[in-house]
Amino acid sequence: MPAVLIRSIATVLFGVGTSFLLPIFVAWWYGELRHIQDFALPLLACWILAVLFWFRGRGKGGLGGVQNAFVIVGCAWVAISVFGAFPLYNCGGFPSFADALFESVSGFTTTGASVLGDVESLPRCINFWRCQTHWLGGMGVIALAVALIPLLGVGGYRLIQAETSGPEKGKLTARISNTAKILWMIYFVLTVSQAALLHWSGMDWFDAVCHAMSTLGTGGFSTRNASLSSFANPTAEWICTVFMLAASVNFGLYYQFIIGRWSEIRDNTELRGFVFVVAAVVLGVTALEWTHFGTLATAFRHSAFQVASIISTTGFMSNDYTMWRPSSQLLILLLFFVGGCSGSTAGGIKVIRWSVLAKELRNQIMHLLHPHGVFTLRINGVPGKGDVVSVIASFIFVYFALVFATAFIGTLCGQDVFTAFTASLSMVGNIGPAFGKLGPSENLGALPMALKLWYCFAMLAGRLEVYTLLIMVGRSLNRGFSKVTD
Amino acid sequence: MNTIVVGAGFTGVQLARALIADGHRVTLIDRDSDRVRDIGNLLDCEVVRAQGNNLDALEKAGVESADALVAVTDSDEVNMITCALVDAAYPHVKKIARVRNYSYYAVTEDAARKYAEKFSGDRRPPFGIDWMVNPDVEVAKSISRSMAHGAVGGVLEVGMGVGIVSIVVGEGSCLNEMPLRNLATAHWWRHLVVYVERAEGAELAGGETVLHAGDRIGVLAKLSEISVVAKLCDAKIGATSRLLLVGAGDVGSHVLAGVREKIDGSLMGRFLDVARAAKSFLTVSVVDDSIDRCRALAENFRDVNVFCGEVTDVNLVREENLGQYDLALSVSDNYERNLITAAYLKTCGVTRAVALTANADVAGVAAKMGIDVVVPMRDTVVDSIISHLRGQNVKSVHTVCGGAFEIVECVVPRSCKAVGRKLRDLKLPGKALVLMVDGLNEGERAPNGDTVIPAGATVVLIVPSGDRRVVRMFAD
Repeated sequence: MPAVLIRSIATVLFGVGTSFLLPIFVAWWYGELRHIQDFALPLLACWILAVLFWFRGRGKGGLGGVQNAFVIVGCAWVAISVFGAFPLYNCGGFPSFADALFESVSGFTTTGASVLGDVESLPRCINFWRCQTHWLGGMGVIALAVALIPLLGVGGYRLIQAETSGPEKGKLTARISNTAKILWMIYFVLTVSQAALLHWSGMDWFDAVCHAMSTLGTGGFSTRNASLSSFANPTAEWICTVFMLAASVNFGLYYQFIIGRWSEIRDNTELRGFVFVVAAVVLGVTALEWTHFGTLATAFRHSAFQVASIISTTGFMSNDYTMWRPSSQLLILLLFFVGGCSGSTAGGIKVIRWSVLAKELRNQIMHLLHPHGVFTLRINGVPGKGDVVSVIASFIFVYFALVFATAFIGTLCGQDVFTAFTASLSMVGNIGPAFGKLGPSENLGALPMALKLWYCFAMLAGRLEVYTLLIMVGRSLNRGFSKVTD
Repeated sequence: MNTIVVGAGFTGVQLARALIADGHRVTLIDRDSDRVRDIGNLLDCEVVRAQGNNLDALEKAGVESADALVAVTDSDEVNMITCALVDAAYPHVKKIARVRNYSYYAVTEDAARKYAEKFSGDRRPPFGIDWMVNPDVEVAKSISRSMAHGAVGGVLEVGMGVGIVSIVVGEGSCLNEMPLRNLATAHWWRHLVVYVERAEGAELAGGETVLHAGDRIGVLAKLSEISVVAKLCDAKIGATSRLLLVGAGDVGSHVLAGVREKIDGSLMGRFLDVARAAKSFLTVSVVDDSIDRCRALAENFRDVNVFCGEVTDVNLVREENLGQYDLALSVSDNYERNLITAAYLKTCGVTRAVALTANADVAGVAAKMGIDVVVPMRDTVVDSIISHLRGQNVKSVHTVCGGAFEIVECVVPRSCKAVGRKLRDLKLPGKALVLMVDGLNEGERAPNGDTVIPAGATVVLIVPSGDRRVVRMFAD
């Protein structure tokens, strides 16, 4: 294996391993001393492997071809998912390693679907770790590695590109490590603010921090079986609503906001589309559920929360939407197809892709009306690159191909069509809950092993925007890793 | 004045001819010996055969004692180098260079604007060029100016919130059959009639003039009061709401930049402040037959309809209703075709058509073809160089009444003889009127015989076209 691949994985493993120190601290703080070893052993393993890998992979090799970036990112995500599963398995709360792996993948990809029905019986340090995987996976472990450990060198930008979501990936600053630092800093500040607000609203510090990490990563793991609804705390629900929406906006926009480039925010095509979709669906669902909840305020709170939860691909539950009117459910289902904004921690197809397609549709209609007319497609006020529409169209094709394949495997494993289809949208879109037999109050524990493993693949593919895993699998099937000039 | 003109092409010769006619001493420099001989026979001036950027030759031609140097060779680089070279040795000579390459022009102009303080006083402007002339920009300015007033009867802005509105007196107007002497004392009329255009010709307004229905009059009024004037005249201001631009080349996009905001906040629009009045167009459409030019334009401008095709294609005309436009500007780089296009669009029903041509000689033909305004490329460049050489005090010149009169806006320098004197004592020669001295004060209609000219004042005049005597009185 080429040095650069080993070196990159060593770096990421070292980072993730070191982050085990946090749950160890939590275990010590809450007196769960028995569980320290659950984390300490993988921690040691990570460090030892990282050191071994580091010496093995020492060399001056650069990143090489752009394909290698995809392979490195793919391998790194598989590696952290596997290592992240060890503490879960060690603690004894999960029936098999595959279940622990599913939980870990679901965590790092910020899906938030759990195989456990009862998470309250898990030790606190394990619940902390589950939410922490969301937080690490949300902004991206590679981005974190690039930001903190400048060892990946010049190829860092390509790696982050392969990890970040959305069709257009810009650098905020000239140096990619600075960009990654800025984004992680914004992310950190938002998380701390949410935790403080949640604590103020009445949660204890442990729940507040766990839910803040879960929200900002747009994951969906909770420390309670009934998710947010078990707190019966409307203030906390509103705080989560706001932060779920905040986490599904492009983090680059916060940077533009801080440095005062207001026009960038004003002209942002995606933000406009996002605000429009959220406002429209919240109003629609509120109107439909008004009678169901009795008061307008309650209906508004629950519809805002569930809309934010699904469009941000978080998957928290304040009220089980599968009990709502079919029309409301359909509106919620619509959000399964949308997803958050590019450059955020949210998954899904992303608003920008639909915005671009809608604009292209407008241009096509204009072209029918004015056969000689010349029309341009503007993204954020500037003309889009020539092939942006075809790039997005092919992404959506691949995305739905994966959704369909996942749903097909679901039906093979005995699911009904509706459950299989929505669950597959939920897995590929990293949302968490689905409809039918996998609604927000259910868990995936009873699924067949094969389906769980396929879902792991689907979640990873969805998180890395399909291409990364497709290229990785395709390359390893074809020729293996290309030689890197050293 | 002693002027050296480098480059004896069309522009150089026309320029020399105009300057000689004005009584200036001119030295022409060109490197082509045949041309030097021909022009020496043609013009009453010294013609030297030399490389333009040869300092020795320039010194022999008397650059040291010259007042100005105009570099109009075919090469932008030679023009710029010549100015830079002469500037290093003789900074006191005023230098003008023709720069056809827009990016050279825009970048330099931009730098000069950005560092205006650094380049003033003893510090020389970039490359030592006092003024750069870019033909495309000059033409675009000229077209924008004619759009801003004459071409479609709108409002000509003369600065400080005041404009001259060209308007037709209606049947039911209280101005009908009104002698201007009576109008001047009427309490409900607080404006100034500048000129009257009739079938028999245009004249400057005087006390004896009587207005009749159907007369087109020019009224000096505050921009905010134009609607009042229109009401009193019982007329509607014929606002141009639909503009059709044929040709998406450099001139086209410069003109467009004056009408529509350019997206990247770019260099182009900044030079076209003159066209503010033209920003009121509701619909702006562009037709060009090159898809690349169309794309570039569509990407650069908002709220502009771009159509790719031949403008003479019947299908395109029908599909997009090209006959419905109020004003068509034919500004492609094929000057002959511009004439055909403009004439064709007139037959389709376009109200007014403007064509960009190579030189002014085709104006007669164009008039026969029904084209309303011809903007000659080369003559426009010569005109703007001359107006620049005449003195910095002239801020703008607009032609009105179909070319019979010019509205001149100029700044009176401190050293001018007119400073501190009453208008009555100046004894203005010929038919000319002083319309405004330093804007309009409240309740004040126009300057009268007792108005005193302060130093640094901005004076707006109307003079017969080509008559420079009055303008000179307000110069040094």
